[in-house]
Amino acid sequence: MNPDMFFLLASVLFSIGLVGIISRRNLFIVYISIELMLSSINLILATLSKLSNDPAGSVMALIIIAVIAAEAALFLAIIIHLNRLKRSIDSDDFKELAQKGDS
Amino acid sequence: MLETSIFIILSLFMLGGSIAIITNKQTVFSVFGFLIVMIGFGGMFALLDNRFLALAQIMVSVGAVVVLSMLAVLSVNAQEKNLPNEPYKYRWIVFSSILVLPFTYLIYKTLSSLAKEFTTNGFTSKDIGSELFNSWVLPFEIVSILLLTAMIGAIVIARKDNS
Amino acid sequence: MLNLIVTIPFLSALILALVYLSNPSKKREKLYASVGVGSILITTILSLNTLYQVVSSGESINTLLYEWISIDNFTINLAFIADPLSAVMIGFITFIGLLIHIYAVGYMSGDEGFGKFFSYFNLFMGSMLLLVLANTPIIMFIGWELVGLSSYLLIGYYHKDGANIKAANKAFILNRVGDFGFIMGILILFLVAGSNGFTFTDIESGISEVSLTTLSFIGVLLFVGAMGKSAQIPLYVWLPDAMAGPTPVSALIHAATMVTAGVYMVARFSFIYELIPNVGEFIAIIGVSSALFAAIIASYQSDIKKILAYSTMSQLGYMFVAVGLGFYDEGIFHVFTHAFFKALLFMGAGAVIIAMHHEQNIFKMGGLKKELKLVYITMFIATLAISGIPPFAGFFSKDAILISAYTSGYTTIWVLASLTAALTSYYMFRLLFVVFHSKENTKSLVKLTPSMTVPLVILAIGATLAGFAQNGFSEFLSITNSSLNIEHSLELMLESLNVVLALIGMGVAYKLYSKDAIEAKANTLVKKVIINKFYIDEIYELIIMKPIVAASKLIANVIDPKGFDLVIKLNVWIYRSTGEVFSKLQNGLVRYYALYMIIGVSAMSIYIIIKLGV
Repeated sequence: MNPDMFFLLASVLFSIGLVGIISRRNLFIVYISIELMLSSINLILATLSKLSNDPAGSVMALIIIAVIAAEAALFLAIIIHLNRLKRSIDSDDFKELAQKGDS
Repeated sequence: MLETSIFIILSLFMLGGSIAIITNKQTVFSVFGFLIVMIGFGGMFALLDNRFLALAQIMVSVGAVVVLSMLAVLSVNAQEKNLPNEPYKYRWIVFSSILVLPFTYLIYKTLSSLAKEFTTNGFTSKDIGSELFNSWVLPFEIVSILLLTAMIGAIVIARKDNS
Repeated sequence: MLNLIVTIPFLSALILALVYLSNPSKKREKLYASVGVGSILITTILSLNTLYQVVSSGESINTLLYEWISIDNFTINLAFIADPLSAVMIGFITFIGLLIHIYAVGYMSGDEGFGKFFSYFNLFMGSMLLLVLANTPIIMFIGWELVGLSSYLLIGYYHKDGANIKAANKAFILNRVGDFGFIMGILILFLVAGSNGFTFTDIESGISEVSLTTLSFIGVLLFVGAMGKSAQIPLYVWLPDAMAGPTPVSALIHAATMVTAGVYMVARFSFIYELIPNVGEFIAIIGVSSALFAAIIASYQSDIKKILAYSTMSQLGYMFVAVGLGFYDEGIFHVFTHAFFKALLFMGAGAVIIAMHHEQNIFKMGGLKKELKLVYITMFIATLAISGIPPFAGFFSKDAILISAYTSGYTTIWVLASLTAALTSYYMFRLLFVVFHSKENTKSLVKLTPSMTVPLVILAIGATLAGFAQNGFSEFLSITNSSLNIEHSLELMLESLNVVLALIGMGVAYKLYSKDAIEAKANTLVKKVIINKFYIDEIYELIIMKPIVAASKLIANVIDPKGFDLVIKLNVWIYRSTGEVFSKLQNGLVRYYALYMIIGVSAMSIYIIIKLGV
């Protein structure tokens, strides 16, 4: 068991999260992909912490977990609010800031 | 040897779960994938001899976040016909994965240049605790305020407008 | 003192303009007349004083009014010089100008634009004096342009009639064409000879190094300006139309002063024209052609002012013959005498026109010698002068020119000029006899005020006596370098030949016109061509005007909208469409924005991987 395995896993999960943000229109999926990215960063931090024998990395990871929790609440509240506005959880339906084109 | 095989099994579960997250049409199935991935993360932390972190992950991420997400998904209760129809989902996924590849490679290469072996014995939860409450007290307090703010914010955003 | 001479007319023009504009409809004729004539009176006194000073001391006067441009060693100052040439010019310009101003008080009385008229008139006097007194070609050119402007303003004075405005435009535009040549000449002159400074004396000193071809070029270009200003072929067509202005204008501007500016200019630049006798020949040929041409046309005209206009053009041709062949003194002397009798002729014609209730066709007049005795006598004297009959002024000046032409070997010019002299006598006496002698055609006549008749008398006296100043004139001016050696008997023979020709002309006119005056009809082809002024106006219209108008239409309708606008629209279209492409990128979907970010990150990662060899 060497750190490379952990790093590889973390990078792959990060990129999968990135792909999820770009490709999906369902707001929930977008949220979950963000969480995935954050958690993979947590993994990297924990690995680094073990590598350098410094508990500071683990403390950082702990604090990030707390932030994840807070952000979960807010994000889901927003999704519910948007759903109440437009009865839709499709991110393509929220286009108010689009460029109004007149030629 | 044991650790490696546990690692491989866990990572396979995590990869499968994450693929499930990004490819499912039904939201609930994605949340199931999310659940699996989070539990897998807990396992990973445990493999890294980081007991406290593993515990925190299971308690918070799985117990709170996943459950909350599941609650939100089920309370929105989108019918099949109201779900967004994404005709080009797989093309997008393929295209973005190609796009993301260099970045992933860069991260992996950079990180793997750090060290090749785990050399140390690790530390206990006691060390984490003393570190947290000695040098990291300020972030700790700020996070608590952050949680308070998030709670209030979530309530304000999500409540019904009874006007 | 020279400063005052130039600035007083301008100042009074300004005052008159301001007073007139403050209340145009109020009748203040006495005020306008006193200011207008008074300023010219002062200017005349000062000019005659200057002339006396220059004559008695024999030196020129230089005064500086204002330092205008001074850059390194390039200086142009508003400075005046009164050498013999300028002194003589301002002497008779102001004197005759004064008489015509007094005449105009009577002629224009009752006209509602009285103040405007005198303002313009004074503006003209100031400009002419500026032109003549300038000591550098640039200031002379300013005066040159200003007299063109005053001429335009005064020709178009009766502005309610569109034809007058057209005539004014024609005068100004043709003047401008000439001025183009003049400016080119000045510019080239400055380039080659202006290294010491740009006054006439400086140019004269710097002229020796210049090649003869450049000088010829300059000489021709400067003469192009004179062609426009002094109505020679081919830029003369404005002069007959300019008769649309009031008669005092015709008398002052188009007879005595402005049109002689070209002759003055050639005399002023005599140091250039001395060195290029070929150009001088060219000038003389143009002069004699214009003289003959105008004389032929004048023989068939019926409008009294147009006859006089063509007569002016003809006499200007004589002046250019003189200065072209190098006889500057004789040319300026003819300017001097011509001013007297031509102004007198115009003023007399104006008196006749007023008396006949603004009738201008001579064949509708007749037998006026009984009623308008004074006008008749003065015009008779003027006609004798212009025909070259001794002892009146024209005899001396015309003779000097003809004899100089003969003895310097230009026999063709002499023959043509003598022929023109005969024709001049013929058509001038034709005018006199038709208006004053032939069958009576008088209805009731308007009474003439003394302000109109007294100047006629003074000018008649001048026309009689001016000729005797010839010798003193030549000695005083002494610009001419060539001296004539001619036998006294030959000179006498030539002079008598001229007199005989003039008397023949008078006799023919007497025979044809003194009893019955019948207007010539255009029944033969030759007559038709001559009466229609050789169709020159129509030819210009066809050759020059129509192509220019067609080209303008082409540019305005085709090239501008389709050519230039197309390019600009193309430019605009490129920017617009690029903008539209970019605006499509902002479709409001956050997903796409994230995609753009990832694209950027990916590009950077690829770059780092390749460059840093990770």
